Amino acid sequence: MSDPLDALEKSIGTLRRAIRDAAAAGDAERARELRMQLRRAERAWDALVDTGEPTPPSPPPAPVARGSQLPAREHVHRALMLLGAPAAPKLIVGVHEAFFPGELSASKLSSLRRDEERSYRSSPGARPYYLCPALAHDLLTPVRALITISTWPLERRVIGPLSPRVDFLTSAIGIAEAVHTAADSTGEGPSPEALRLLWRFAVNIPDAMPKDASSHGGALDPQQVVIAARAELDVHTDADRATRTAAARQARKSLGDDEQLFGAPSQGVTYLRSARA
Amino acid sequence: MKAPVDGRLAALRGSGKRLDYNARSLAALENNPRCTLRALLDASGSNKAAIAAHVGHPPAFGQSVFAITRGNAFEAMVKDNGCAELLRVLRETLELTLPEVAYEDLNDVGGNGRSDKRYERTEEVLLRAARGDGEGTLFDHPMLRLLIGGHPAYLEPDLVAFRIDGRFHVMEIKSFPIIDGQADPTQVRAATTQACAYIIALRDLLGRAGIGAEAVSDTIVLVAPKDFTNRPTAAFVDARKQVAALTRQLSRIERIGELVDLLPDDLTFDLYLDEDEQPRRPPEELAETLDQVLKTYRPDCLNHCEMAFYCRSRARAEASLDVLGPVVREQFGGIDTTTMVMGLARGELKPSEDQVEMAAALRHAARLRAELEDLGGAA
Repeated sequence: MSDPLDALEKSIGTLRRAIRDAAAAGDAERARELRMQLRRAERAWDALVDTGEPTPPSPPPAPVARGSQLPAREHVHRALMLLGAPAAPKLIVGVHEAFFPGELSASKLSSLRRDEERSYRSSPGARPYYLCPALAHDLLTPVRALITISTWPLERRVIGPLSPRVDFLTSAIGIAEAVHTAADSTGEGPSPEALRLLWRFAVNIPDAMPKDASSHGGALDPQQVVIAARAELDVHTDADRATRTAAARQARKSLGDDEQLFGAPSQGVTYLRSARA
Repeated sequence: MKAPVDGRLAALRGSGKRLDYNARSLAALENNPRCTLRALLDASGSNKAAIAAHVGHPPAFGQSVFAITRGNAFEAMVKDNGCAELLRVLRETLELTLPEVAYEDLNDVGGNGRSDKRYERTEEVLLRAARGDGEGTLFDHPMLRLLIGGHPAYLEPDLVAFRIDGRFHVMEIKSFPIIDGQADPTQVRAATTQACAYIIALRDLLGRAGIGAEAVSDTIVLVAPKDFTNRPTAAFVDARKQVAALTRQLSRIERIGELVDLLPDDLTFDLYLDEDEQPRRPPEELAETLDQVLKTYRPDCLNHCEMAFYCRSRARAEASLDVLGPVVREQFGGIDTTTMVMGLARGELKPSEDQVEMAAALRHAARLRAELEDLGGAA
């Protein structure tokens, strides 16, 4: 999943199968929603092929200049595709700095999120993908500070009680694979930032650290991190998937297209800054 | 609470907006329950900070931007990425099992950050968890409510209340370090005091749904940086004594009526605010009013009461032994001021009957000190 194009192709394949299933089951509404997602994914695929995105996520020496000139939303998209799960701005910036060239700051991210929604509302579907908030599994309102990509299925964009951990482990796998790819590719291998990022994830996953605990990052084995993360993921996946699937079904039933991306309207009319005692 | 008392308290507060109890005023209650001034100001919901500032002793705490930023940064770090650091710590120290990772964010309700909404949502989520349906291990910033003297106070556990072995544990995330398993006792105490109010509020919430007090542990989980690193570790802190003390004080708060009855009828702490929220009351007059009320200053008031600097200046002006703290003060039972202590020590004052023993001890101490000074002078 380290390559955005691969991920998109995988997601396109999944979507096609799902449409076939939905059509066979006679669920026209679901099929329509899936078709729309498929179109979005295909547009995203086209856009990526056209711009000739650097395929390996490792910092390639040549396209540095071009990579750094990408708009911020492309940076965010690339970081999220690497992680494969909804992520907070801080983590997105961390991944960007570890694996990709160019500038990306957390402050830029917050303005970006508002722009995305505005752009969608003025001409829906004009862009191949949108950056949108994750949705709470029960209220279907936007979750604080978690960013997703509109081309992801709703099941991946809703957050249940177990999802923060599941997404953490998924992200750990994404980062470990990217570090692994960077180590295999020619060049100087993974950046120190990338190793530090992986280390920060690995220390919080049971059995992900090498046995001789004295080592500091250098001896960290990305494969071991992947295996450890998968092992814990197995514990949570089923329960998490059940919640997310149910929430996604509910969202498709009760929310409009735009709300499925940007969340149900928030409950209160006003934000009270002074509400915190 | 009886209506006349409420009316009387409102008159004490005057024109200002009523302030509810918060974690700080509850800490003040627990630490200095006997102070009449504090009791009256808090019960009437007066703005202690404004009053203290108006009489020339503005409170100087809550001002360190660095400390607050540091605290928030540490808390954010602990909770980043689905509480990854926190889960590791809890798995290591509290033996949380692998599947116990469910996380519930109660910072707002679908974008609404109002206390009452958050309280309703917290109640719903926690009760569901307590009854065993619905997942939930970590609850981020739940909003609790405690009725104090008939008025609601909203309390937000500094961090997370969560569930191990079917019991709720209040957690405090603090940025002072635990070095070799030891932390600064004053800071630990401040943290536990705060957490006690949360325990009581949480028990109250569950209690109203018929769930017993044993569902909430008396033990607080303190999460703080380990040694000289920035990585968190956790420790249990036993808060039984403090919970009991605060529970007792809260049950006695109803007795505020007895204190109010002792006051002159026209006494008020009103600042007479004008339209721009500027106090119009002459500071001297306000100070005179404050002086009519008994206050019990202790050095640790500085940690949690806005009036502390004012009370300290008064205690100093009266040469009161309070300034030196309860340890010193208790040594001199029956003597209130440093002037009297010095007078007795120098033999300038004639001790009353119950002071005779103390006076002898003091004169002895003075003699020893004088001898030492002579030796020092000769050397």
